[in-house]
Amino acid sequence: MAIRKSTLLENLTAYGFMGPALIVLVLGLVYPLATTVHMAFLDWSMGTPWDTKEFVGLKWFEKLTTDPSVWKSFWVTLKFGFWVVLIEMILGTFLALVLERPIRGAAIFRTAFILPLMISPVVVGLIWRYLFDARAGMLNYYLGKIGIEPILWLADPDIALISLIIADIWQWTPFIFIILLAGLQAIPSDVVEASRIDGATWWQQTIMIKLPMIKSVLIVALLMRIVDVYKVVEVVFIMTEGGPGLETELLALHVYKVAFNSQNLGYASAVSMLLLAIVTLLCLVVLKFSNPLKQKSDF
Amino acid sequence: MLTVRNLVTGAALACAITLTTGTALADPYEKYRGTEIVVSWPSLAHFKIAEELIPEFTAETGISVETDPLQYGKLRDKQLLEMGKAVGDYDVVSWVVFWKTEYVQKGLLTPLSQMFANPALVDPNYDIGDITPAYLENGGMVGGPQGYLDGPSAGLYGIPFSAQTTMLAYRKDLLEKHSISVPETYDELLAASKLLNEKEGIGGLTGRAQSGHQANDFFLTHYGPTGGSLIDDNYRPIINNPKAVKTVEMLAEFVKVGPVGMTSYGYGEMVNSFVQGDAAFYLDASKIRKTVEDESKSRIKGKVGYALHPTIDGNCGSGTGGFAMGIPANSKNQEAAFLFIQWMTNKATDMKLAEMGGDPIRTSTMNNADLQAKYEDYPVLVKQLECARADWRPLIPEYPEIDAQIIGIAVSEAITGTKTAQQAMDEANAKTEALLTEKGYYAWQ
Repeated sequence: MAIRKSTLLENLTAYGFMGPALIVLVLGLVYPLATTVHMAFLDWSMGTPWDTKEFVGLKWFEKLTTDPSVWKSFWVTLKFGFWVVLIEMILGTFLALVLERPIRGAAIFRTAFILPLMISPVVVGLIWRYLFDARAGMLNYYLGKIGIEPILWLADPDIALISLIIADIWQWTPFIFIILLAGLQAIPSDVVEASRIDGATWWQQTIMIKLPMIKSVLIVALLMRIVDVYKVVEVVFIMTEGGPGLETELLALHVYKVAFNSQNLGYASAVSMLLLAIVTLLCLVVLKFSNPLKQKSDF
Repeated sequence: MLTVRNLVTGAALACAITLTTGTALADPYEKYRGTEIVVSWPSLAHFKIAEELIPEFTAETGISVETDPLQYGKLRDKQLLEMGKAVGDYDVVSWVVFWKTEYVQKGLLTPLSQMFANPALVDPNYDIGDITPAYLENGGMVGGPQGYLDGPSAGLYGIPFSAQTTMLAYRKDLLEKHSISVPETYDELLAASKLLNEKEGIGGLTGRAQSGHQANDFFLTHYGPTGGSLIDDNYRPIINNPKAVKTVEMLAEFVKVGPVGMTSYGYGEMVNSFVQGDAAFYLDASKIRKTVEDESKSRIKGKVGYALHPTIDGNCGSGTGGFAMGIPANSKNQEAAFLFIQWMTNKATDMKLAEMGGDPIRTSTMNNADLQAKYEDYPVLVKQLECARADWRPLIPEYPEIDAQIIGIAVSEAITGTKTAQQAMDEANAKTEALLTEKGYYAWQ
């Protein structure tokens, strides 16, 4: 069937419908982004009149390259992001595979596993802070009952980041789980049936049929988690405030502190540009590997 | 005609005139009745108590008050935004003492001298000399030596409200049990902490060593009595001076025998560890008695004694901090705001606040015999304030950054063993010098 070229009216209609969304995008995304970029070249302190701002060129970017706390934050964030995304993807996929079958009680499990996602990050931070409290927290209380010395979950520089990772996995694995569950349930059953008739085991079905068929869903979930991980502020702020020392100082938290403790919005904007660059790079790498937008439908 | 009726009418008229003019002359609030002011202050216990007195203030003055309480860490951002506008919404702002220099340097506050120069506004019984000098200097004076101390070039910008110093609280039952006398020096405190940790299995001294602002306050609390400073007269940082390094090393010793997890304690966890019985000593903000006696939180009511902040080499030096209240320069109701501040900090109100469990700022309140009988820490407080250091923290405009981003992190790294004390403080010194250079502190050197 030949595809005729759309008329001018059809084109205009299309743009007309996209218009409002585009306006929101410009106001909500492009304008703040442009302002941030602009700020990264300025020196302005909150509370002083806007016209006293100074143009400082690349000063903040130069400072960025030599600032040890920015690089410490950078490494801490990469470490955190790697472990969190890896474990959440594996755990989320596993849970989705196990609970997509109509086993008894699956509905209850599904509801229970989604609950952590519904809780506000500040509350998640508080819950885990109290659980991890070395002196009065539940974890050490029960560990004490089986004879284990209190662990300094949030106070030991080697353990604090692990505690943060645990809290994040608890909160966000459900996210991967729901997305993948939806993806798995959209797979046409005849393909899986056919493979079962051909003698494939559950493991073979999963690895060779199901997972490849939800590849674009997996990629989307991965991308969303990568972007989200670099925005984590509330949980770490409540749990450790970046401590002990700088062991849990995630980059987004560092930006917050530079902006509001040091009142240096220019430098904070420059560091956020660094954050943006990292996230964009990671997303591009993932998309190079497999781009859900460019592929034909998996089925 | 001089009839009785005329005489009575005349007398009544004369009385009426005298009474009306008489009352009008005696009402300092007349011009401001019906004004509405907005107050920005923290949502802490003392301020909640003060809020209960606001209806009384409104009844007396006709000025209605709307408060905007926020968590105290968030106040500064909100206040800076409001005070930076052409016309602001806040008429009274309450600041943490270490923001005062920044606020004044940016021209955001009205000098109180402007108000005190207006006889129509000043309460003749106010007696500003009765307000503890250390608190007044710490919370309200800006522009003197080093920018934050009292001196010929200093001006008054705020009146202290919920100010505090540091004091020792100890478990008298445990000290009696092991025949330990109340520590007067740091050496005695460390020895007692080690002993009680060993014999009772609880922490000795508790503290708030969480990385950032908490760790810095923890450090400064125990650095105060050394008499040392962090910046010299030329604003050069001396953070890595021997006394400071020694203090950090001493903190690590206290942490070893402290309650579990002390290195991640914020203020709340520190207080809880003491009042729930997991530490024998508390040496921090002087308002601890309130929580000790709150049975819903404390297990040690009646078992606590209060003493002076221990000395080092015979030197005393307790901390000063808390909050002060002043008037934003862009407020539309400056005089009404001043009347509010004056009323909240006058003798009668200070006494009422203290009776209701708030923090007093006046020597007369703290010396009041009834209150001293009711609150066993008051006699200690009065004596302690003689030794409170107004220069306990260098309250230069860059202090918030140095506090939370530099020293606070260095101290945490040193006591958790990531770096040695000397190394951490050396780095902190270098960072501070770089910061102050960037901000133009050495333009004249």
